[in-house]
Amino acid sequence: MPSAGEAAPAGLAAVLTMRRPQVEAMAQAWLLAGARAFGITSHGRVLAAWPGPEAQPAAQIEPGALGGLAAEVTADGWLLGELRVTGMAGAVAAARLAADATLLAQLAQQERELDAVAEELVGAQDQILALYDLARAARSHLNLPETLSAPACETARLVATDGAAVLFVPDDGEPAWGWHGPGVPELATLLAAFRRLPADGRELILAGSEASHGCNLLLIPVHVRQHTAAALALARGPGCTAFASPEIKLAHAIAEQSGAQIENVLLYEETLARARLDTEMALARTVQMRLLPARAPAITGLQLAGRATPALQVGGDFYDFMPAQAGRTCTFAVGDVSGKGLSAALVMAMARSVLRSKASGGATPAQMLDSANAELYDDLTEVAMFATVFVGQYDPVARTLRYANAGHSPVIYCPPDGPARLLEADGTALGVLPFSLCQDHELPFGPAALLVIGTDGFSEASNAAGAMYGYERLLRLVESLAVQPAAAIADEIYLAVGAFAAGQLQADDQTLIVAKGVLS
Amino acid sequence: MKMKWRLIGKIAVLEPIGRFDAHNAPAVAEALAEARNSSLKDAIVNLGQVNFLDSTALATLVQGMKHCRQLGGDLHLCCLQQPVRIIFELTRLDKAFDIYETEAEALHAFGG
Repeated sequence: MPSAGEAAPAGLAAVLTMRRPQVEAMAQAWLLAGARAFGITSHGRVLAAWPGPEAQPAAQIEPGALGGLAAEVTADGWLLGELRVTGMAGAVAAARLAADATLLAQLAQQERELDAVAEELVGAQDQILALYDLARAARSHLNLPETLSAPACETARLVATDGAAVLFVPDDGEPAWGWHGPGVPELATLLAAFRRLPADGRELILAGSEASHGCNLLLIPVHVRQHTAAALALARGPGCTAFASPEIKLAHAIAEQSGAQIENVLLYEETLARARLDTEMALARTVQMRLLPARAPAITGLQLAGRATPALQVGGDFYDFMPAQAGRTCTFAVGDVSGKGLSAALVMAMARSVLRSKASGGATPAQMLDSANAELYDDLTEVAMFATVFVGQYDPVARTLRYANAGHSPVIYCPPDGPARLLEADGTALGVLPFSLCQDHELPFGPAALLVIGTDGFSEASNAAGAMYGYERLLRLVESLAVQPAAAIADEIYLAVGAFAAGQLQADDQTLIVAKGVLS
Repeated sequence: MKMKWRLIGKIAVLEPIGRFDAHNAPAVAEALAEARNSSLKDAIVNLGQVNFLDSTALATLVQGMKHCRQLGGDLHLCCLQQPVRIIFELTRLDKAFDIYETEAEALHAFGG
């Protein structure tokens, strides 16, 4: 907006241009009243004169040629110019000329106000366009640095500043910022100002000695997810005018916009991270599933079937068929690491490997568990986990099953003539005690003998009413399925427990091995 | 699950209430760690108000027991409800822990 000094001469000229008919009528009225001439002068120049200059332009008429009465045109204490009338005299004429001067001053004032309003409108339009540009450009910014720099640039363009910056101060991470212009204070200065932002969401204005290097600093809070986690900073060099109310309003609008953009970018980054994690988990699941035996070994006189369904992508359960030992026996194991998800899966992979390494050399199940516990105890203690493990060893010649149980349940044995019963553990899980309490036990395992080694994901499966499937139901289920082949029994157990817990999320990993004696 | 915890002499007594599982095991683990940080080597977990434990809860108790024993103390359990007692029997954790009928007996076993 031009200063008053510049506006003064333009004031009457503008009135002459924009309100020519009114001024013309005023002049003609004087001529009709008997005046020889009527003129308007400003700062020693004649802007217009009547009767109209026939031979020379008004600007070339000497103001002195318009002698006689004169009245000053003033607005807000500024002298805009004079009205002059030649050939009239007396108090009445002087009063009339003064009244005309006042009228002209009012017209000039109106013109100036109109100009100011028009200018503001154009300015507002520019700002709206700029905000629109900013919003549109934001869609293409998918990283934080660009998202912080863009509003800083726009602010520097729209508001007269020596520099603008947007800083983002997340709760759990390093502050980040984007800036534009030579007069931006150091990040440390901005962070110090950020911590001084008032809690009520208003801006912070620092001037003179309060800000660094005596510059004016305006800091607008930016809300990111309902928290003041960012700010828009505007800096002006020492000696510059203070930030005015329209500028502060505009800065608030840009700040609002910046907050929405930062939220967008955060959401995008989170979505991306989640997608990466999902991919990683899917890979982990593939790896874990490959650690499980692809198929059951063919053993004379024994049907084996194994299944595993983790509750999450990966889980802490495992089952394994160990390579057949030189000679004759077949060893298999089911384990359950406490907890679930990725942490349990890592420990499961470790426990499986250790157990596998203990299967060679003719070790009995209890010996395997004993040495696996010795090897795993420290690591399991370190991570505050334990692993229940059942190991079975089938002897196809003697048709017996030797087993040892380190805290594992449920293990269900159903002899050919029933009823099914739980084989309770005698040792604690691996990682609970530094020594093992497991002992070897032996069962006759001829045709129609059935062993189901499950995990607690079956017995603890809950229905909508919160009731657990429980051991009783499981025992009866195994009895009812006993005539079927091992693979079918395994499938039916999943189906029955799944039907019981219909509609409920699977809360825990479900893994089992079914071993059934058959005629060789 | 809520949890009460108090100090009887130099013995921390924890009383978890309700379902004791992966969601609230960290609260018990924290309380046990706090007791350990306060140089308390003995602890009692009163399970009288607990109707279910999952494997994470059991692992938390095992870890607490190991920590107490490392300091030369112990972690005693007491007041197990029947379903909880069965869980301890099936996992044979009844062999790893000293389990008492009442809190008074658990305290007495510490010589208190």
